[in-house]
Amino acid sequence: MDVATAESGAQILLATSSDSGNPPENMIDGRLDTFWASTGLYPQEFILSFTTLVNLKTIKVNSFQVKGLKIERSVQQEPTDFETLKDAELSPSDASLQTEEYKVDSSTAKHLRFIITSGYDHFFSVHRLSVEGSPVS
Amino acid sequence: MSMMHLLTHPIIVRDAAVGKSALTQVFHSDGSHFPKGYSMTIGQEICVKSVSLPETSDTVELFIYDSAGKEMFADYAAQFWDHPSAVMVVFDVNNEKSFHSCLKWFERVKNKSSQHIPAVLVGNKTDLMDRRIVTTESAKSFAQGNGMEYFECSAKSQENVEAPFKFLAETFRKMYYERLEVMKSLAA
Repeated sequence: MDVATAESGAQILLATSSDSGNPPENMIDGRLDTFWASTGLYPQEFILSFTTLVNLKTIKVNSFQVKGLKIERSVQQEPTDFETLKDAELSPSDASLQTEEYKVDSSTAKHLRFIITSGYDHFFSVHRLSVEGSPVS
Repeated sequence: MSMMHLLTHPIIVRDAAVGKSALTQVFHSDGSHFPKGYSMTIGQEICVKSVSLPETSDTVELFIYDSAGKEMFADYAAQFWDHPSAVMVVFDVNNEKSFHSCLKWFERVKNKSSQHIPAVLVGNKTDLMDRRIVTTESAKSFAQGNGMEYFECSAKSQENVEAPFKFLAETFRKMYYERLEVMKSLAA
């Protein structure tokens, strides 16, 4: 199941850019046509928190103009002690969304931190996050 | 209308009119220096200036890198060449050499960067009327030919110093809204 939806209780705890017209919650509303936009400068980051510790399977990100992307995880109740899960460089996409899917089997997380270290333009957007996983029983 | 706070990647300022009345110095004095965490990695030459655009509810924070007197293509300045948000070139209207060195410098910037960068050319020290050498016409025509906006000011008498920065802030904001339209169209 997708544990990164607002419906399932997931939350964006923090985001470094805030344009009230394109808030970070747009990344977890299950839609591709709404997005969180950065308002300039790199790096940018946000933290996605699950209701409980989850077993991760895949992380999928739909974005635009993102270049350097780092994904970190924390298993603590509070978002601390992050460790790197993925360090990727995305390819540019002309007039379409970037679709990235990362297999992260056998990892658990309570929080995921996404750090956008660089981009292909002054601004970038993240349209949708999906995290396949299941609550640790 | 959304409330927004835009941040620019460092704007590179080449101020050939160095000295007491350098434009960025006047500008710095009512700006504030960047918080420690950031300045540690970039150095102390970055300062930040907040420009609110009264006709909108938006604010643009201009990060300004003053390259006065330094060789721009060396050391850590190089990291800005990928994506500077804008470029400002300042010259002394009483000094033809400073004008020509600006032109040369801007040519190099243009050749180096892969995308279009908003740019302004600023003729400074217009308070010294009788010593003026570079005419408004020749500066303006160079600016136009190179896709730059031209401004004249006097940092010493504080005349028109805000205008070029305000122009850059407005251009950056416009760019943001243009990009939003592209982002909106992607999933359609």
